[in-house]
Amino acid sequence: MQLQLQDLCKQYGTKCAVNHVNASLSPGVYGLLGANGAGKTTLMRMICGVLKPTSGSIRLNGKTIEELGEQYYSHLGYMPQDFGFYPDFTAREFMLYMAAVKGLDTKTAKKRTEQLLHMVNLHEVANKKVKSYSGGMKQRLGIAQAELNHPLILILDEPTAGLDPKERIRFRNLISDFAKEKIVILSTHIVSDVSYIADYILMMKNGQFLLSEPIETVTEGIKGKVWEFLVDNKKVEEYSRHLSVVNLHHENNMVRLRVVSDTAPMADAVTVEPSLEDLFLYHFGEDAQSERSNDYAG
Amino acid sequence: MLVKYEFLKILRKKSTIIVMAISLLLTAFLFGLPILQFQTYNQDGVIKGFDGIAYEKEQYKDLSVPITDEYAAQTITEYQKLFENPENVGYDGSEKFLIGDAYWNYVAPRENLLSMIASAYDSPGENSGFNKLPELDLTDGAKFYQSRNEKIESLLNTPSRDMSTEQKEYWSNMSSKVEAPLQYGYHEGWKIIMSSFELLMFALLAVCIVIAPVFSGEYQAGTDSVILSGKYGKTKLVTAKIISSMLFGVLAFTLHIIVAFGLPLAAFGTDGWNLPLQIAGTTIPYPFTFLQATLINLGVIYLVLLAMIGLTLFLSAKMKSPYIVLIVLVPVLFIPLFLSPNGTTGAYNLTLFLLPYRSTMPEIDKYISYQIGGIVFNVLSIRAILYAVLTAIMLPLAKLGFKKHQVV
Repeated sequence: MQLQLQDLCKQYGTKCAVNHVNASLSPGVYGLLGANGAGKTTLMRMICGVLKPTSGSIRLNGKTIEELGEQYYSHLGYMPQDFGFYPDFTAREFMLYMAAVKGLDTKTAKKRTEQLLHMVNLHEVANKKVKSYSGGMKQRLGIAQAELNHPLILILDEPTAGLDPKERIRFRNLISDFAKEKIVILSTHIVSDVSYIADYILMMKNGQFLLSEPIETVTEGIKGKVWEFLVDNKKVEEYSRHLSVVNLHHENNMVRLRVVSDTAPMADAVTVEPSLEDLFLYHFGEDAQSERSNDYAG
Repeated sequence: MLVKYEFLKILRKKSTIIVMAISLLLTAFLFGLPILQFQTYNQDGVIKGFDGIAYEKEQYKDLSVPITDEYAAQTITEYQKLFENPENVGYDGSEKFLIGDAYWNYVAPRENLLSMIASAYDSPGENSGFNKLPELDLTDGAKFYQSRNEKIESLLNTPSRDMSTEQKEYWSNMSSKVEAPLQYGYHEGWKIIMSSFELLMFALLAVCIVIAPVFSGEYQAGTDSVILSGKYGKTKLVTAKIISSMLFGVLAFTLHIIVAFGLPLAAFGTDGWNLPLQIAGTTIPYPFTFLQATLINLGVIYLVLLAMIGLTLFLSAKMKSPYIVLIVLVPVLFIPLFLSPNGTTGAYNLTLFLLPYRSTMPEIDKYISYQIGGIVFNVLSIRAILYAVLTAIMLPLAKLGFKKHQVV
């Protein structure tokens, strides 16, 4: 199975949200990373066929979405960012409704609904109205509906946004369970979410892919560009102003800074093994730092 | 299955229940008002409510007869004879009228019958009450039907009506199908229904309010992306949404009809269902009974309802919020309420008679016709055709609107 994005563009007036994107995706988990406004959601909406590209095409095994029609959508599972529910439906009714929209027969729909509600640990509250659910419960219901039709292509747009760390770990595990033999595209700006489960990293900036690499080799390009060194407690702020600081760690009266920089920031700085987070900061700089602080504050 | 869930989505909303409850109460109030306000009189004074209804029904017992020329002549003669006794006659300076026992024993019980008979001798547009009856020459009989026909003929030839030969022929032909003699009788319940059809506009609006979110509600709630990316999101689901909206609209509206018609018919009785419309207006050209006319106009209103549902769904598919849908829809439904026709011809009047509000009114006595080439349509037929066509246009447009919707 191959999902091909061919010269995909989406233009809003003069702004190019997705700019000539090309990719060929085979089964595996793809972590789609990018700062807010990078074009991730627009790209995912086009892959899901709910937003028409300005130009270019999306093909599954050589055939376009238009050619495949219902056949394409029957292979698709989509969990959009912040999508709404029907507040007056119970979780079970919502799942059965979505199963009907996805073309499952009544018997299969009931079976899959019960299976998935168990998997996402909502079976005990399945008869409660969705409006009484917490954010985390709604997210779990969201992924459950996406998985109803055993999709070959599973698109998850910021599935962990707004979840607490415990919920986030639970969610990662769920995605791992669902990911077998599928093309899973998981968009997030929280690097740790994808570092555990992604096989490939797609990094997006200004509507284009900056890089597309297997997770094992994705950080090779910044080898020798991640540094650690100790500084006086009082000088941390000054360093933070001039350098992209990934992390800081207090050690007695000193602070160990981890920064990404093309050149050594200090004479005694030593290079260390780069991580995905370093890579993200390297490419997105201040955007990434402000998003990180927002996420952790949230 | 999809229709079931879409229907449930409409029914489960709190707003649906609130809007329907308010609309049903309003309809019950408006159609119940003639019952509460009903009153009749006898020598002892006013008789209100159900006692009044029972009293009036009793009065009609002797009047439920075929209005033959002979019967009309006999009724007019009896009326004229009462004027021979000066004690029975009052005079207000301009006209003579019966007073005292002559009024209470003869005129009061058959006031509507006398009005109906007298109206046949008026010119078009004239309403002389009983004034002409005392002087009417009955040497050659009452000539009731002849006078009615002459009045219709004169009405068709009124210059302000500007009727073509085909239109005159159409109406003469239709009018000639009215069977004589007319059977007279009690028909109060039907009279109220026939004159209150436009009050159903509130029910129509309520249905439109409830279904306004069918598509736009999905955009507003952010559920559009999930359902549109489902296998049937752009195909069977859209059809299911349309079917469930139609189903809801028809059922909800029927519930309103049951309340609206049930109240007057329960209070005044179903008597008169098989009586001709002409006993409520001698020049009415449609050869229908009250029940037939009610059902025909109701059929037209159902078509208006379907077209309005179609229009609501189309707007809903095109607009981002149900509120914007209603901002467009409410004027379409209610602006015609403030527009009055100034005749029965001309583009303005002919358009006005086809707008949704006016289309709920039967306008059976107005001789409104539309000519396309050599073919003449009466207002009821043209409304039926127009709203059926509008429904047929709106529904595919609504379908296309949702199918082409872009999640931005």
